Amino acid sequence: MKRLKKLLSLVLLFSLASVAAAASGGAAEKTPQSVQVRIRTILAGNKSDEFDAKLKDMEAQLKPLKYRSYRSLKDDGQSVPWQGTRTFEIPGGRSLTVAPQEFQNNRVALKVRLTEGEKPVLDTTVRITNKGSFILGGPPHEGGTLVLSISAAAQ
Amino acid sequence: MTSCENTRESIGRWLDGELSAAESEAVRGHVSACAVCDETRRQLEKIGATLKSVLATEAARVELTPFWREVQSRINRKRAWYEDLLDWSRGLLAAPRVAWAVPTVIALLLGLFSLDSYWPGWRIRGSRNSFAAVDSIDAHGRSVALLRENETKTTVIWLYEDQEGENETAEEASKSGPAF
Amino acid sequence: MTDWELVQKCQAGETSAFQELVSRYHQKVYMVILGLLRHREDALEVAQETFFRAYRKINSFQGGSSFYTWIYRIAVNISIDAQRRHKRNPLDFRESMDGVLEAQDEVVRDPFSDVHDRELRENLVKAINELTPEHKAVIVLRTIEGLSYKDIGEILGCSEGTVMSRLHYARKKLQDKLSDFL
Repeated sequence: MKRLKKLLSLVLLFSLASVAAAASGGAAEKTPQSVQVRIRTILAGNKSDEFDAKLKDMEAQLKPLKYRSYRSLKDDGQSVPWQGTRTFEIPGGRSLTVAPQEFQNNRVALKVRLTEGEKPVLDTTVRITNKGSFILGGPPHEGGTLVLSISAAAQ
Repeated sequence: MTSCENTRESIGRWLDGELSAAESEAVRGHVSACAVCDETRRQLEKIGATLKSVLATEAARVELTPFWREVQSRINRKRAWYEDLLDWSRGLLAAPRVAWAVPTVIALLLGLFSLDSYWPGWRIRGSRNSFAAVDSIDAHGRSVALLRENETKTTVIWLYEDQEGENETAEEASKSGPAF
Repeated sequence: MTDWELVQKCQAGETSAFQELVSRYHQKVYMVILGLLRHREDALEVAQETFFRAYRKINSFQGGSSFYTWIYRIAVNISIDAQRRHKRNPLDFRESMDGVLEAQDEVVRDPFSDVHDRELRENLVKAINELTPEHKAVIVLRTIEGLSYKDIGEILGCSEGTVMSRLHYARKKLQDKLSDFL
């Protein structure tokens, strides 16, 4: 009984320490210094059946889009400070501006703007799981369609 | 010389033989010279002796033979399956143990849920929460679709070329956007 | 034969060895339980249950503690469980212990028996009843068995310091309540 009590008290202590440490982070979570943003620009089309080997890790995400071919055009990564912005060049005279907003519940809130020249095409705020990604697609390019994979990892 | 107050605190332990030799000698010396403390000693001894006498006299009436007979019949009696289970659960759920176990389990669960702070993203990939959440979207007059692909838990924001896309034929429409 | 040798024989299947252990400890165990439960019938039933459970668990006894601390631990645990399950009217206590005291007077039958002594016994029984189960347990185990604080701590699952402070408190309470009769 004494041994059991000792073990239980150790487990209790450890658990409470975990909770306390997590809670002290809690709502005012320890904000990472910056966010590593990666933009992979892919050209999707139906003129061939090519699947770029560089996109092998994304195959499962791209297949549901039901295009016949996928080609990697660009793979850009930049470290973006919180509340700062970075602009990525996108083929076809476009640009993608990314502004990390906050880090909460293991999610990175990103403000994203896609522009064509000077004209804004899309403004969106997306919360992605840390080290996760989402897809922004649709702009036409060279007979195909641009698919952008946008991922963010808090550092 | 040990004071009366100190001695009165220690008389019980002295009578129980739980003091060191030096402490015991100090108490004995004081008690033999102090009428008040000696009276305390006498009273404690009287209480103990009386209690023992009351219970010992009663216990002497418990005869071995019928007692053992009853114990034996319990040993030989076939117990229903649920009696063993009840015994086990009674032991498990006895208040002192539950008093330990309940906060421990709760704290353990909270600790597990807090693991995210140490190992962010430790959750199994493909869990429901992996979908990106779209807080706001403004396509500046264009058509936009928000799609969720279940297998890879991928959120897709799909921009349609322009509003004239409404007039596309079905074939053209299927080429301009994802099939799902 | 030592207790441990008897236990080993019992573990090997010799029920007669267990009977010998019962013979050695049944009255002592009964005394402890009666001090905790106050009711003669309950105490007898719990004492028998104590030995029954000890028999069923005999293989788990590895000799790490003495047999008597082990059996007293079982007895105290069952007594505490029984107290929780069978909550009776406090008056029942006086009735059943009055019966005990009367029976003792019958046995003694001394016309010159000290009235003062009887009053002390009656009030002692009442005062013990007013202690909490924890305080009752330490005073009964120490008084009846003369067990060390270490042994009592093992039986009750608490530290020696706790035993010491509970004993001190219980004795002070009894002294205060029985000052007119001591």
